[in-house]
Amino acid sequence: MPMYGDLGNKLVQHAKRTQNLTHLPPYQAELVRSVAREVRDLDKDVASMLEPFQGSFDPSAHQAMACTLLVNHLSMRRNKRCLLAYHRTRTDKLEELVWSGYDVLDLSAQQTAGEEDYVRQYGDLLAAYKGQWTDIDLTGSLEPPRDLFIDVRVLKDAGEIQTEYGAINLTKNSQFYVRQGDVERLIAQGYLQKLA
Amino acid sequence: MDIDDILREVDPTYHVVPRERRDLQDLTRAWVAERSAPELLHWPAGGLFERIHDNIKRQIEKVEEMTGDMDPKTNFALIVIQTELERFRYLVRSYIRARIAKIDRHALHYLSTDELRSRLSEMELAYATRHQALLHDHYLASFLSSFPPPLQNLNDTAGNITMIDAPDLESAVFIRLLKDTLVEGRGVDADGAMDGRESDIVILRWSDAKPLIDAGSAELV
Amino acid sequence: MALPLPPGLAQAEVAFLAEMELVTVVPRQRLESINLLSGRTPVLRPPHRAPLPLWLALLLKKQRRANIVPPPWLHPTSLSQIIHRETKEDPTAFSAPPPPPSRAHPSQPGMAHRPAADANLSPPFLPSCTADAPAGYLPYHWLEVAEALLAHAGDDMAAPPGEVRGLLRDLVEVRAAKMRSSTSALEGFGGGLMSLRGVGAMELAESRGFVLGVVDGVRRIGASAEATRREEEEMGGRREDDEGSDDDMGI
Repeated sequence: MPMYGDLGNKLVQHAKRTQNLTHLPPYQAELVRSVAREVRDLDKDVASMLEPFQGSFDPSAHQAMACTLLVNHLSMRRNKRCLLAYHRTRTDKLEELVWSGYDVLDLSAQQTAGEEDYVRQYGDLLAAYKGQWTDIDLTGSLEPPRDLFIDVRVLKDAGEIQTEYGAINLTKNSQFYVRQGDVERLIAQGYLQKLA
Repeated sequence: MDIDDILREVDPTYHVVPRERRDLQDLTRAWVAERSAPELLHWPAGGLFERIHDNIKRQIEKVEEMTGDMDPKTNFALIVIQTELERFRYLVRSYIRARIAKIDRHALHYLSTDELRSRLSEMELAYATRHQALLHDHYLASFLSSFPPPLQNLNDTAGNITMIDAPDLESAVFIRLLKDTLVEGRGVDADGAMDGRESDIVILRWSDAKPLIDAGSAELV
Repeated sequence: MALPLPPGLAQAEVAFLAEMELVTVVPRQRLESINLLSGRTPVLRPPHRAPLPLWLALLLKKQRRANIVPPPWLHPTSLSQIIHRETKEDPTAFSAPPPPPSRAHPSQPGMAHRPAADANLSPPFLPSCTADAPAGYLPYHWLEVAEALLAHAGDDMAAPPGEVRGLLRDLVEVRAAKMRSSTSALEGFGGGLMSLRGVGAMELAESRGFVLGVVDGVRRIGASAEATRREEEEMGGRREDDEGSDDDMGI
């Protein structure tokens, strides 16, 4: 006979695995249903055991039964904790995606309809919070800023580019001190070289 | 008018750092402390963050104005201003996100008593409440609504098993003493005490460090 | 997750913090005061020295608008003296941090002084990396400041950068060994307190995860022993109290 709590443990194992994954694994719908059913069954057992006493159960007079009731109660609560932990791990993962700029359309097909709702609503909540700090860009980089401006050398003629300081004419072998963000693409494309 | 203005008025020799510099010091200390403490600290009083946010907003406007003006002499000033601006924005961002991470992790805990709630800014309180409601709705839709009604709460603590996770207040931290003071710390084998000197860096449990920090005798590092 | 970082400043964050340290620059060009978020910068007029935060000093240096005066503790003589102290005078503890700056009001010498609003300033807001800083003491951000200056202002050093770098490397090694022996002492961290006076910010950041992990681990493993000890002490304490009151009654 399977012990009460075995299914809950399985959920916790899934939750632990989820924590270490970069993507969201499939939702364990069947397992969740079984653990929840176990809680209802335990609750029914408790109710039927207590029924003959009509609210006047005396634990010291029925010690064996009191013990069973306690075990049932603890099992229900343990299952509840496992379910909470499993779902929380998944919502954490979903929130992480929202923080890094994904929205519900970018998600894989592994989430449930309820989780999609959650992503939408959490996305709205975060957007509202971000809106209070418009000039901070809350979802911006958590790396301390370094080298906002850099020296670059022009490797091949790239014509004129617009920067915050107006236009710069990028002719071969000329050198400029520019905002890194303005020239990142030109560096990647090999037009400019970042100087140490 | 704050306490320094009053002190300056009654005593003109009262020496203070300019407000802007003091704000940066306070912001920096708040950031280091929040990044280091195992639990959420108080949102700074006195409108520190509101003031800094306003200043950042104004500085961004200034950058936009200066950008229109192409005088090469202002060009370097603009580089300096923007570099500093990025530093401030980073500090505020990292600070706020360190707080949100703590609030998200233990929302029910921080919403559970008035003392804990008072640590959150108004905005954070609204965020935490809404976030918690979203989670509860999601749990209800996923499994909780099929539970017997007495088990549907998220904050039940029946039978001494709490469903409210809380931060570990006994985690170890590093502090720096800001003045000479007695430091006491509880340990496994024995409890310790030392006559600490200014600039000492001490490892101890957060719960033992907190009174020193609240008294202004130490800071987290 | 809003912040995927463990508690305590990471090394990159410590380096960022160290860039707030004030250093002394000698301007090579005039520069008017700039109204920054942290206040107005001083007007720069060659050859008058001025204090500036390290990040700004480095910006000026990269543009060849200023030279940076290395702090006296970064002088080879000072570094050698510190190495001597770290190895010969006290081979177990870190050498002492710089003495706290005088708290007296600069314009009111000798005047009875009460603590001002800036009384409890601490690094990076103490002037411990300027030209006036004392020689012979390593400030809290010594390694970060030294590395930044060597990387970007090597030609401003009082000695060939290679010599300074070599001394720094020796110092890093000596102190890393001290950090290791401190952390191995942590295995028996049962006393509740440990002082690392003189440790630097970067040294702390490098071993923070390990140190805190050990201390928290020792606490968890010993949790029940500690609870028992506290119970016993409380009962013992109560008995002593009782005896005490008996004595009182005897008087």
